[in-house]
Amino acid sequence: MALHFVRSPVVSSARALTARVIGFVLALGLGALVLGIAGFDSLHLGRQIIVKSLGSQFGLEDLGLLYTPLLLTGLAVTVMARMGLWNIGADGQFYLGAFVTTAIGLFIKGPEPFMLVLMFFAGAAGGALWILVPTLAKAYAKVDEIITTLLLNFVALLLVYYVATGPWRDRVSGTTASTGRVPYKMPDFFGSLHWGFVIALAAPILFALALRYTKWGYEVRLSGANPDAAHYAGIPVRRRLITIMLLSGAIAGIAGMLEVAGTVHRLQGGISNNYGYLGVMVAVLARGSALGVIAGAFLMALILNAGIILQTQGLTTSAVLALTGLIMLFTAIADQFAHYRLVRPRAATA
Amino acid sequence: MIDLKNINRRRFMGLAGMTAAASMVPWKVRQALAATPLPAVKEEDAIIGFGHVGPISDEGWTYSHHQGLEAVKAAFPKAKYLEVENIPFSADCTRIYRQMVSDGANMIFSTSNYGDLIYEVSDRATDVAWFECDGRRPADNLSGYYIQHWYPTYVVGIAAGLLSKTGKLGYVASFPVPSVFSGTNAFLMGARTVNPNATLQAVVINSWFDPQGAKQAGTALADNGCDFLFGIMDEAAYLQVAEERGIWAAMWNTDIRRYGPKAYVSSIVLDWKDYYVEQVKKRLAGEWTGGEETLLPMGKGIDRDAWGERVPADVAAKADAVRDKMLKEGWSPFVGEIKDAEGTVRVPAGHRMTEDELYNWDWSIEGVSGLKV
Repeated sequence: MALHFVRSPVVSSARALTARVIGFVLALGLGALVLGIAGFDSLHLGRQIIVKSLGSQFGLEDLGLLYTPLLLTGLAVTVMARMGLWNIGADGQFYLGAFVTTAIGLFIKGPEPFMLVLMFFAGAAGGALWILVPTLAKAYAKVDEIITTLLLNFVALLLVYYVATGPWRDRVSGTTASTGRVPYKMPDFFGSLHWGFVIALAAPILFALALRYTKWGYEVRLSGANPDAAHYAGIPVRRRLITIMLLSGAIAGIAGMLEVAGTVHRLQGGISNNYGYLGVMVAVLARGSALGVIAGAFLMALILNAGIILQTQGLTTSAVLALTGLIMLFTAIADQFAHYRLVRPRAATA
Repeated sequence: MIDLKNINRRRFMGLAGMTAAASMVPWKVRQALAATPLPAVKEEDAIIGFGHVGPISDEGWTYSHHQGLEAVKAAFPKAKYLEVENIPFSADCTRIYRQMVSDGANMIFSTSNYGDLIYEVSDRATDVAWFECDGRRPADNLSGYYIQHWYPTYVVGIAAGLLSKTGKLGYVASFPVPSVFSGTNAFLMGARTVNPNATLQAVVINSWFDPQGAKQAGTALADNGCDFLFGIMDEAAYLQVAEERGIWAAMWNTDIRRYGPKAYVSSIVLDWKDYYVEQVKKRLAGEWTGGEETLLPMGKGIDRDAWGERVPADVAAKADAVRDKMLKEGWSPFVGEIKDAEGTVRVPAGHRMTEDELYNWDWSIEGVSGLKV
């Protein structure tokens, strides 16, 4: 009797996780095999990655600094995914958060703690402002948010390039295409790792709690699961959609604020480092769970950090990109496979 | 009495200017200050890192630095080497250099200027010898180095002025930074010596390596009537545009005429080998101190490439006559009066721009458009 696959629509977390782990291990195995054929000592490389990212102060600092923006952009995408929406514009909102933070840092003078608080809220407002038009277009005209949020990324990038190489250009060192140094700095607590990391780590937890234990959270969950039923139940779906989208933008804006105030201290074209787009990958890894973002962003930070270590070990960037892609591909395949179960059809009765 | 500790750079330039002869070969723009040299390193213990802005396969900027690294490898085969390509202008840059330091690097060459993203690491890793190409903030453990590209650019500009029929020159620019200002200004100044009505239009594409963006910019410039394209890209994309459109182009970094043999006029070619080998030698011998700013002069690190196959002999000869004058007599064309794009006199009559002024040029001369900051 032939075996066959049956698709089940719901997957338990344990099953999903097992599939993920298998996929991840297979991807690493395949990568190691290819590297081995190319003449690299894969085991040595693997050991280097673990020792250098988790076994040294430098490695942990770097990991933390990568982890911080990924937590927030991953959360920004996940927040909207709870309403069944895709925020592909977290990169643009990140840029706007960084832009507003820099504007305040460069042109307003004040005591540092006050300035940091001001920059924090301004960064959030900047991110929210950048998603305002897509939000209103979605809420009132049903315009696809994927397109509008994506396209605004390019506008934000050009805006940042314009001010960083034009009116706000650094006139002290006058070399790189960046603004002057922002004089207010998030305090460090572990080498160069700053308190922004703690904020970023707290954000998904706070959101998960709000979603789980507040009326607002319940309404958001219901609106995301079934907008028609939610509407019928008297939930103001449109208002929830607007707050969720603005919140998503604000979170990505905070990521930009922390990158300026904590890590880079200047505004420049490359500052987003694709964190907004990587946030989409984190959200996919997190499977719509706010707490899953903590794990997904960690894995992504580890992969990116491994990429840097591998480059100093002689691998080209293309090889590193291919490895990252391989891991993502296998994760996606594993997610699908988790839905399937191998079944032996029961013997026909009569 | 000169206080060496608190000397500022401008003042130092003045002092250096007084002592240096008025030639075009101030090999060192800024000498190392009285710092103790870093201790000697045995060749087999040396770990030397190189970080690049683009891919080695660009056949341009990054490739030229990679050739420099190859020369160092040949000279010091027992040392270990780390090389990373495609470093972005983000905190990733800091991470990569921090990784090199934790891998034990004794010397790190950043072949592009990342500014603070490097200093974040270099200021803490004081036992490492650091180099920042096009850098402008030397420290006891960090030297800047670059090339006096304005001289060969002026020479190629003369050829452009002679070859262009419309007098409209196009320039594919990365960012509005000093290299681009000195490049566009020198190029147009050269062209104007033979065609006083020549103008230059620049398009900024916000990248050093973006073949697609450079191609679009080149096409737009050609559409605007430019019949000579120049630029400062790490690769050859706009040369291919010029070849297709039947116009002229001059390039940077290496001889890449094979991508457009008919359009190719010349290139601002780079050679970092001697500089790199010399610096590594000093570090290993325990004689290296930082704090320098070196601008490699024409003939020793930078030059024009052999002329393209369709460049008429008289054009080449006219441009080369000026090159000879620069090389033999130390002649400089960058003498006032020079006005900016608004018509204000920025270099007074008779003043010869110093290498430092040329290196930090941050305004456009009359006739350049598209670069206002």
